[in-house]
Amino acid sequence: MTRKSITNVSQARVWRGTMPVQYLYTAGVAGERFFQTLRRKGVFAVTTCAECQVTYLPPRLYCERCFADLSGAWAEVAPSGRVHTYTVVHEDQDGRPLDPPQVVAFVRIDGTSGGLIGRLLHLRPQDVQVEMPVDAVLAPPRRRRGGMDDITGFAPRRVLPRRRTP
Amino acid sequence: MSDRVAVVGVGAVPPRPLSVDRSYRELGFESATRAYGDAGVTHQDIESFISVCEDFHEGTSITDEYTPDQLGAVLQPVHTIAGDGLQGVAAAVMLIRTGIADLVAVEAHCKTSNILTHEQVLAMALDPTYERALRVTPHFVAGMEMRRYLHETGSSEDAVAMVVVKNRRHALGNPVAAYGGILSPDDVLASAAVCEPLRELEISPNSDGAVVLVLASEEAARRTPKPVWIRGVGWASGTPWLAGRSWGQASYAGVAAEMAYRMAGITQPDREIRFAEIDDTYAYKELQHLEAAQLAPRADVTRMVMEGETRRGGRLPVNPSGGSLGMGYCFDATALYRTAEAVRQIRGEAGRAQVAQATTGLVVSWRGIPTQSGGAMVLSAD
Repeated sequence: MTRKSITNVSQARVWRGTMPVQYLYTAGVAGERFFQTLRRKGVFAVTTCAECQVTYLPPRLYCERCFADLSGAWAEVAPSGRVHTYTVVHEDQDGRPLDPPQVVAFVRIDGTSGGLIGRLLHLRPQDVQVEMPVDAVLAPPRRRRGGMDDITGFAPRRVLPRRRTP
Repeated sequence: MSDRVAVVGVGAVPPRPLSVDRSYRELGFESATRAYGDAGVTHQDIESFISVCEDFHEGTSITDEYTPDQLGAVLQPVHTIAGDGLQGVAAAVMLIRTGIADLVAVEAHCKTSNILTHEQVLAMALDPTYERALRVTPHFVAGMEMRRYLHETGSSEDAVAMVVVKNRRHALGNPVAAYGGILSPDDVLASAAVCEPLRELEISPNSDGAVVLVLASEEAARRTPKPVWIRGVGWASGTPWLAGRSWGQASYAGVAAEMAYRMAGITQPDREIRFAEIDDTYAYKELQHLEAAQLAPRADVTRMVMEGETRRGGRLPVNPSGGSLGMGYCFDATALYRTAEAVRQIRGEAGRAQVAQATTGLVVSWRGIPTQSGGAMVLSAD
């Protein structure tokens, strides 16, 4: 192939582009109930497939294993669980350094087969352990808007003793 | 009519972090030219074309429309798989086994250097309702997988670092690999923390590249100089929910490998597979994929890696090409690079990277975070 090679990268002609596309997502029937329950009661709405013994969190209207309709199989669970896994994150979404680093965990919520992703609060990265019990730290009821931001994060149970959710 | 399908042509450009001098079409054209030449065919002999690409990785919406010209596929049957490279290969196998075509080209390319805000593409792949609120680097998904993997298996961070040491060293023997090097596990563990325990050197560097494979029916393959047979192929997707996935193991790869082994009639993978080119997008993934493909029992993976069994001269060489850690990570094209390198091994054309008696090889692929999709393929000399 004959071509004149570019020896200076800055000489390459470039065109800039962005994808300025905007979206509005809806949460669906199951998501709507989850976030309304979170906002009003401070607990997590879940669905259960009795046949498969799977409790979905985030809740789903169907069982992904046996394909049963779960629209009548709702329950509520307390917003507490265990750190299933975690990571100490040093970069933000744009690749810029995070100082201090943030601890992000997947928390397996007690009484469910699922869980939620959230920040771990009130503890140093070196003190986190897999399977340690944590409770959700929720925004005060009047500030909740019915979204994941209503969950500020999760904190170790010993620091924040479990109490009745307001 | 035979059901057998072979890879009869491979063509690729060396993966590089920048390719400002050429467009993705030109990279694709070069790879196609090489692949058709390798198979001893022309573009007019190819009866159907498959591209593997994804709009957001290209920066062009409806990007599959931009496939035909650089492959010589204008006004020919073409379709795109927005998925893993091995899903594209599997589609070609289906076209051939159903008798629709005798010669099929599969193309994938990667122009990641065009993407200025790559993290945003991956962030937009997360569920908008439950998973996007954190606004941290999407590598956090890999950091959490790695942590759970180490917790469940008792593997050490040293074993993960040793994967990097091995693959970077293997890359020294591969003349097209950009990231050859001699490192110690301590060098890896001393590299910057990204999403602990995941470190910078444990993440394959993003690279530009393009690969074209030519697949053929047995009849057509007999007319080509160097067929390598696809004995089995499989692919699977796990649940997309972060909340539902198995954080500690690569379940999708387990299902895909079983499917490929069943088709290939392989009952003892750890004895019948002589080498593997498997996804190492993140170093821990190589360990997860070895386990998923039944090439190493969960409790034994660390020992195998630490004792050098997965080195080029070891009992089961893994990524003798250098893998993505040694060659660079090419997103949708990664699985086709692994396949091209496996084909070179089986043909005995791998030069200094050559594995002894590389008669049967396994390819394992993964579509990358945040997916739970991957594939597996058994390739053989006969």
